[in-house]
Amino acid sequence: MSRPLAQLLASAAFVLAAALLAYRQRLNLSRSLLIAAARAAAQLAVVGALIALVFRVPALAIAFVAVMVLTASLTAGSRMRALPHARRIAVSAIALPALSAVGVLLAVGAFAATPRATIPTAGILIGGAMLATTLTGRRLVEGLADGVDEIEARLSLGDRARDALAPLARRAIAGAMVPLIDQTRSAGLVTLPGTFVGLVLGGASPGTAARVQLVVLLTLLLVQLLSALLTAELVTRAATLPGERVLAL
Amino acid sequence: MTEPTAARIDGLAVRDLHVARGERSVLHDVRFDAPKRAVVALVGPSGAGKSTLLRCLNRLHAPDGGTVLLDGEDTAALDPCTLRRRVGLVGQVPVMLPGSVRENVAYGLDPAAAADADRLTRALRDAGLDADFLDRTASELSGGERARVALARALTREPELLLLDEPTAALDAAVARHIAATVRSLAGAGLGVVVATHDLAFAADVADRAVALRDGTAVSGAPAELLAAARDGDPAAHAAATASDAVEEPGT
Repeated sequence: MSRPLAQLLASAAFVLAAALLAYRQRLNLSRSLLIAAARAAAQLAVVGALIALVFRVPALAIAFVAVMVLTASLTAGSRMRALPHARRIAVSAIALPALSAVGVLLAVGAFAATPRATIPTAGILIGGAMLATTLTGRRLVEGLADGVDEIEARLSLGDRARDALAPLARRAIAGAMVPLIDQTRSAGLVTLPGTFVGLVLGGASPGTAARVQLVVLLTLLLVQLLSALLTAELVTRAATLPGERVLAL
Repeated sequence: MTEPTAARIDGLAVRDLHVARGERSVLHDVRFDAPKRAVVALVGPSGAGKSTLLRCLNRLHAPDGGTVLLDGEDTAALDPCTLRRRVGLVGQVPVMLPGSVRENVAYGLDPAAAADADRLTRALRDAGLDADFLDRTASELSGGERARVALARALTREPELLLLDEPTAALDAAVARHIAATVRSLAGAGLGVVVATHDLAFAADVADRAVALRDGTAVSGAPAELLAAARDGDPAAHAAATASDAVEEPGT
């Protein structure tokens, strides 16, 4: 049996086993499991075909990265819908740090300037920026809703709106960064991160895989901090009204 | 206009204030004076717009029409932060900021004022707390103590007027009486006070004049008549209103 066929059969069998098990246990999950599996198969098939195309026509790589930024921004923007300009905030907070980092890595020659190297790297950095933006944005929106008494107390004591929002912004950034730092700290101990796994499966030596993974993880730390800071700054501006007042959510 | 508006009031003068929320009018044609050295009680059922009105006075809320004058000057033309230091607001929920009572009462003061121990202890004493509260952790205080720290925190800014939103909401009767006495003596020392309350007994205890919010507009007069009108058959409120007959008539 050829390897692709074996992979296909094994994974299909596993999904069917999961669906059967769920059905037997009356978990009412079989349908969702099968749909999720089918979606994943279709999406990955399309992405695989698209990336194959992009590898042949490098100009398409730019369009591909743009689609990644857009998708990430829509996802993060929907988490702070309560705010004006949520999508615009998300685009800036994701694209600026992630794409700048990609640019620096390419400029110093850390990665080859080929679609094969650039697209996965950009994907990981954009995904990380999206996570930081979502976490920070959600905490800020919650804080604007639940923390209105504290914000108004500070305003009533004579704070500028920006100063009254600053403690909330700092807490949101710190709160968003903690899980991201934990993830970096446990890399290789709890989970083997995606880049490492991918490179090893693709035939790279574990040493090379570890080195590339480290570059990605450390870049992510800065990208995510910048995304969180940018989100906090843009949300603070969006929530500040004329006359040193703050948007009520 | 039914009253002269040209007269310069030493304190706050509210003229034809209008606040809408979407299509719905919350407050309309609200007019009253809150002079310094006087305590004005803002009474009315919950939802009548008392908090919204207070928040218009320090411009935490921008009214949709009308003016609020401070010593004859339109508050819309003042720097909001300066206005809020001159017209302090103590909100309904006494929010404690992180840190000690000292950090709370010194919050936002310039370094010289923050280091002025006299200024801080005077504010605490005026709010009915001892100086040794300064080093307590604010988040560990009881509800009544928090209410006093919030009051002291507004007082360290040495405001000209003080807006109190339901100051007795979380307090028992004895502490409420103490707060009433504090408010009276602050007014005696020159402060103007506007106190929003649904507690008619407290209003009768504390106020020189009363402004009742009814159907979104203000009716001002002597506390006794207004409170009697507002009591809605509540015997306790009626007793309080009757007991306040001795309070002086408003100066208008």
